[in-house]
Amino acid sequence: MALLKVKFDQKKRVKLAQGLWLMNWLSVLAGIVLFSLGLFLKIELRKRSEVMNNSESHFVPNSLIGVGVLSCVLNSLAGKICYDALDPAKYAKWKPWLKPYLAVCVLFNAILFLVALCCFLLRGSLETTLAYGLKNGMKYYRDTDTPGRCFMKKTIDMLQIEFRCCGNNGFRDWFEIQWISNRYLDFSSKEVKDRIKSNVDGRYLVDGVPFSCCNPSSPRPCIQYQLTNNSAHYSYDHQTEELNLWLQGCRAALLSYYSSLMNSMGVVTLLVWLFEVSITAGLRYLHTALENVSNPEDPECESEGWLLEKSVPETWKAFVESCKKLGKSNQVEVEGADAGQAPEAG
Amino acid sequence: MAPVLPVVLPLQPRIRLAQGLWLLSWLLALAGGLTLLCSGHLLVQLWHLGTFLAPSCPFPALPQTALAAGAMALGTGLGGAGASQASLDAARYPPWRGVLSPLLVVGTAAGGGLLALALGLTLVLPASLHQGLEEGLEAALAHYKDTEVPGHCQAKRLMDELQLRYHCCGRHGYKDWFGVQWVSNRYLDPSDQDVVDRIQSNVEGLYLIDGVPFSCCNPHSPRPCLQSQLSDPYAHPLFDPRQPNLNLWAQGCHEVLLGHLQGLSGTLGSTLAVTFLLQALVLLGLRYLQTALEGLGGVIDGEGETQGYLFPGGLRDVLKTAWLQGGTAHKPAPEETPPEEEPRKEDLPEA
Repeated sequence: MALLKVKFDQKKRVKLAQGLWLMNWLSVLAGIVLFSLGLFLKIELRKRSEVMNNSESHFVPNSLIGVGVLSCVLNSLAGKICYDALDPAKYAKWKPWLKPYLAVCVLFNAILFLVALCCFLLRGSLETTLAYGLKNGMKYYRDTDTPGRCFMKKTIDMLQIEFRCCGNNGFRDWFEIQWISNRYLDFSSKEVKDRIKSNVDGRYLVDGVPFSCCNPSSPRPCIQYQLTNNSAHYSYDHQTEELNLWLQGCRAALLSYYSSLMNSMGVVTLLVWLFEVSITAGLRYLHTALENVSNPEDPECESEGWLLEKSVPETWKAFVESCKKLGKSNQVEVEGADAGQAPEAG
Repeated sequence: MAPVLPVVLPLQPRIRLAQGLWLLSWLLALAGGLTLLCSGHLLVQLWHLGTFLAPSCPFPALPQTALAAGAMALGTGLGGAGASQASLDAARYPPWRGVLSPLLVVGTAAGGGLLALALGLTLVLPASLHQGLEEGLEAALAHYKDTEVPGHCQAKRLMDELQLRYHCCGRHGYKDWFGVQWVSNRYLDPSDQDVVDRIQSNVEGLYLIDGVPFSCCNPHSPRPCLQSQLSDPYAHPLFDPRQPNLNLWAQGCHEVLLGHLQGLSGTLGSTLAVTFLLQALVLLGLRYLQTALEGLGGVIDGEGETQGYLFPGGLRDVLKTAWLQGGTAHKPAPEETPPEEEPRKEDLPEA
């Protein structure tokens, strides 16, 4: 019993071929869109690779780029096939290639679905990369004279201003590292000497943050230093003050930015996948309809098209049998030779 | 009464004229669309920077006029493309015959007028930006502290965001902040002697400090930002005057905004000039095509030569005809109109 049989007359076949030709060229455009989405994500990841310790995984954008290119190639080929399908002479040269081509299409659709899933699922690795990278970035904030790290201060400041965030998980992360370079500390001052002596590693820790943590929406001029000391500032309570600094951590801000990017790309990829599946199904119908034209001399005759010749379990059984036969082909020949000799002897 | 600037147009040059006109019309439509985009962009920028431009500044009139002029040019271009394509096809030309005259009149008067006005404004208005930005920025700096006053509570946030985005500080430099009280009285401790001294030290009772807001800080500086006590050379030890001062943004917001807006209006001016040129060419070509085809009586494929002209008679005759037509419009007398038509028909065989 054939799966999803549909009857096709000449007009329907022509309409199917023309519709498929149009859909294939639309899906070449969709492939270009996927390619550009992958490229955009790759550029965005590269822009901030400094705060990700240059170790971020480019798997998602690379696979989007690859899938986009593949889609363009496969679909333009399919468009050419559909165009030639209307002319029996041209179609004859494509006939032997169609079955393997359809198998490649099915494989490509599976890969496309997997890439779409990856867009949604690979956020976790980005989170750990960001946490590690931001921690290091903040550690190197003060190293503005060290070659190779002298731009870290500018990068972190611009990041905090652009993404409206402060620190790794919050502004208190700045209290735990020394972000003021020793070069700008006056070691003759008592206050500096006390702070350095007060901790084991001899670091100059302050309860202050860089200026890029300041929130412009605050009604009062930004308070950056002595944040935990209420008496240092008039009418200030550090526990209820919410508008002075950005409250979000940069890890959460960057993660939500990249997550929304990857989610929307995943949705677009799923839509393209649905489109590709329908194109593959249409191509299969066209293939079987043209195969089943019973009288090659009469192009007007009706034919049947289907997705699978037998039902799914039977097709699977036949496929498994043919795989087994491939393995046993030598043994079958030997047995046949023996059986041939035995009757001769007998 | 000779026609003005006559040009003999046999069939082939007529066809060439129609084809060239079709191309020029599409270019005009493109230029009109570009003008629309440019003026739209300038309007959006002005809307964002509205607080920093004094309300009395007439500059916003420029993108508004350019928007209208661009829309008219787009319409003229599309109409011209349709007319020139129809003039090559005998079946499609008759409906366009009636449309061409009003199209030419509206295109010349309204479209040309708007474009000329917009071009004039491009030359005159950018000069008013200087004063408008001065007043606007002065008001913004003065209201920076008024975060609790209704109507000005957004001034601080907008000023900070302006300085952060455009990389500038103050009006002409960071010292402008020294002359303005930018700390709200609400956050000044009245019992602090330093505060009382500062307030008493000037006539207006303002709390003036030699410090700047955080948004003036330059992230490129290798040292954490120095915002306070900027006039005191001994307040921040280890400050090396030989190194270039990267601590704060060096440019004033006035220069930055002026350059930005003048650049945008310059681009708009060039697109307007190109659109004006194209519109003049298209309208001229359409007029010649129309009069040439009228000479054939509306039959497109006629092999005969006809003349295209700008006006049927000299300028005085045109005005007289227009005046008389306006006069006869009040007194509907059908027997008077044929004598008006005959002198015009006599012109054609003469030429």
